[in-house]
Amino acid sequence: MGSMIAARDSSSRRKNYTQIILYGILICFLLFIPLFFQSPYVLHLFILTLVYIIAAASMRFIMTSGQIPLAHAAFLGLGAYVSAVLSKHVGLSPWLSLFIAAFVAMGVGIFISFPFARLKAFYYAMVSLFFGVGLLQAIESLGKLTGGLAGITAIPTLFNTASKVPYYYCFLALTLVSLVILYRFEVSRIGWNLKAIDQSYLVSSSVGISEVKYRVLAVAIGCFFVGLAGGMYANYNVTLSPSSFDSSVTLWMIIYVTIGGMNNFSGPIIGTAVLFLIPQYFSGLKQYAPFISAAILFLVIFMFRNGLVCIPGLLMAFYKRKKSTSKSR
Amino acid sequence: MILEINGLTKNFGGLTAVSGIDIKVNDGEVLGLIGPNGAGKSTFFNLITGVIPPTKGKIIFKGKDITGKRPHEIAELGIGRTFQLNPLFPNFTVLQNVISSFQIRPRSNWLDTFFNTPVYRKNEAYILEQSLEILNLVGLYKVKDELAKNQPHGYQKMLGVARALAIKPSLLLLDEPIAGMNPDEIDNTIEAIKRTSQRGVTIILVEHNMKILEICNRVVVINFGQKIVEGSPQEIKENPEVIRAYLGSGHDTKH
Ligand SMILES: Nc1ncnc2c1ncn2[C@@H]1O[C@H](COP(=O)(O)OP(=O)(O)OP(=O)(O)O)[C@@H](O)[C@H]1O
Ligand SMILES: [Mg+2]
Repeated sequence: MGSMIAARDSSSRRKNYTQIILYGILICFLLFIPLFFQSPYVLHLFILTLVYIIAAASMRFIMTSGQIPLAHAAFLGLGAYVSAVLSKHVGLSPWLSLFIAAFVAMGVGIFISFPFARLKAFYYAMVSLFFGVGLLQAIESLGKLTGGLAGITAIPTLFNTASKVPYYYCFLALTLVSLVILYRFEVSRIGWNLKAIDQSYLVSSSVGISEVKYRVLAVAIGCFFVGLAGGMYANYNVTLSPSSFDSSVTLWMIIYVTIGGMNNFSGPIIGTAVLFLIPQYFSGLKQYAPFISAAILFLVIFMFRNGLVCIPGLLMAFYKRKKSTSKSR
Repeated sequence: MILEINGLTKNFGGLTAVSGIDIKVNDGEVLGLIGPNGAGKSTFFNLITGVIPPTKGKIIFKGKDITGKRPHEIAELGIGRTFQLNPLFPNFTVLQNVISSFQIRPRSNWLDTFFNTPVYRKNEAYILEQSLEILNLVGLYKVKDELAKNQPHGYQKMLGVARALAIKPSLLLLDEPIAGMNPDEIDNTIEAIKRTSQRGVTIILVEHNMKILEICNRVVVINFGQKIVEGSPQEIKENPEVIRAYLGSGHDTKH
């Protein structure tokens, strides 16, 4: 919120400039990725990473309000299947079905969170867990529409080409827009109120923050973006099967968020890049991915309490300390 | 009359924590609420502020029936409060705690908030200014940028008062505001309460510490959920029933 920013000391202004420059470099690098990496497989990995970044960032958004979305992968699946069915069986343009999928996921999110928002945040975790299991069951049993366990195939795609380059740029743009929107929410009073509710619902409500309104809002926004990510996935990947959206996928998202750093907006982005992209990229490492993640998890738990995002800051502090001790000598 | 309570009752299973209490609170007064441990004082506050629904009875604030409203709606109407165990936003700074407590006056709509429009920025600038003024009033200006959870107990209690003032209440409920404070902090807090009262805010405060009676216009004593006596601080101090029920059992200052 504005006054929150104003309240910080002036040294943050210089930090802001370096930050802008760093983001500029990062975005340039991302724009050139299709030139650096010509292999369709690698580009495929980058595209999936973008989808998971939206999913993980939207998950973290819900988590800032103290709620744990244990059905987040199921909502990814909901978005994916809605967009797949609408574009394949109803004949809508994938560009339209994608956004309808996001709104359907948002609506369903509101519907399941509203009755429980008055109770403790913990109930949302429980109800979403059951909802996730139920949704996958429904997808499996609606064989005619969804292809059942075997999955749905021949989903219309967003672009009429075999090349992955247009998908990469399109998804990069969608991801950046989604992240900017989530970021705007987070740094505004809305984001602060979500964090306030997480810290004490008693205090929050005593100063006029409606718990129900903000908890449902967090879920609505989070589900919108994960539904969008699902739709993107469906109309890119051509095929879907329920196993891509089971609770182990939710678990992985939670790991991306927590290892990347729950308390920082970039946490889920870095977590997804490190834990999803890198093991897949070095495909020799793929079967070791769980072990690598476990090792990083331990490292984070014991050394970097605030996740991978805090490593640069720690390094800077270490470097500064070294410099000052060598000066004093 | 700002607040009128009729036959307020709360049963927790078999236990009647508050039993048919009638209280009238005049505009601008400081009303003390005293009674032994477990008398039902905190429950009384929780009933007024909608944290728990009453079993029976009516709560009328500024002529409007507010029984059964949710806590955030009560706050919007202008009833601020602190809590006995004083929960805070521990991971916010002291200043952020107060800024986050400005939700109502002013309130920006979601579009202004999301797009960081001039309206929103003006509101936030005003909130910052007001928050700093409140921190000055309660004497926390010097620690404004420190995390709330790292503050000593006395500061946290005062922060609770600062937070409640941020909603710009016309009625302020303070649950044991000076419990556990050192003498300096007590003087400081009593001064802040006096000044708040001088600004026209009606105050109801719960305390075990008899020192606070000095600033009350009127005192109500409750025991076992019932109002036993009501009168001026002097009358209360001399009332034999009070001495038996309350003072006789020792000045208990737990929590
Ligand atoms: N949520 C609850 N569920 C069950 N019993 C409760 C609840 N809250 C309070 N009580 C009981 O109601 C009675 C009144 O409690 P209350 O906290 O209102 O007392 P109090 O006057 O504030 O006491 P103290 O001076 O110790 O703060 C106590 O016997 C308490 O155990
Ligand atoms: Mg109490």
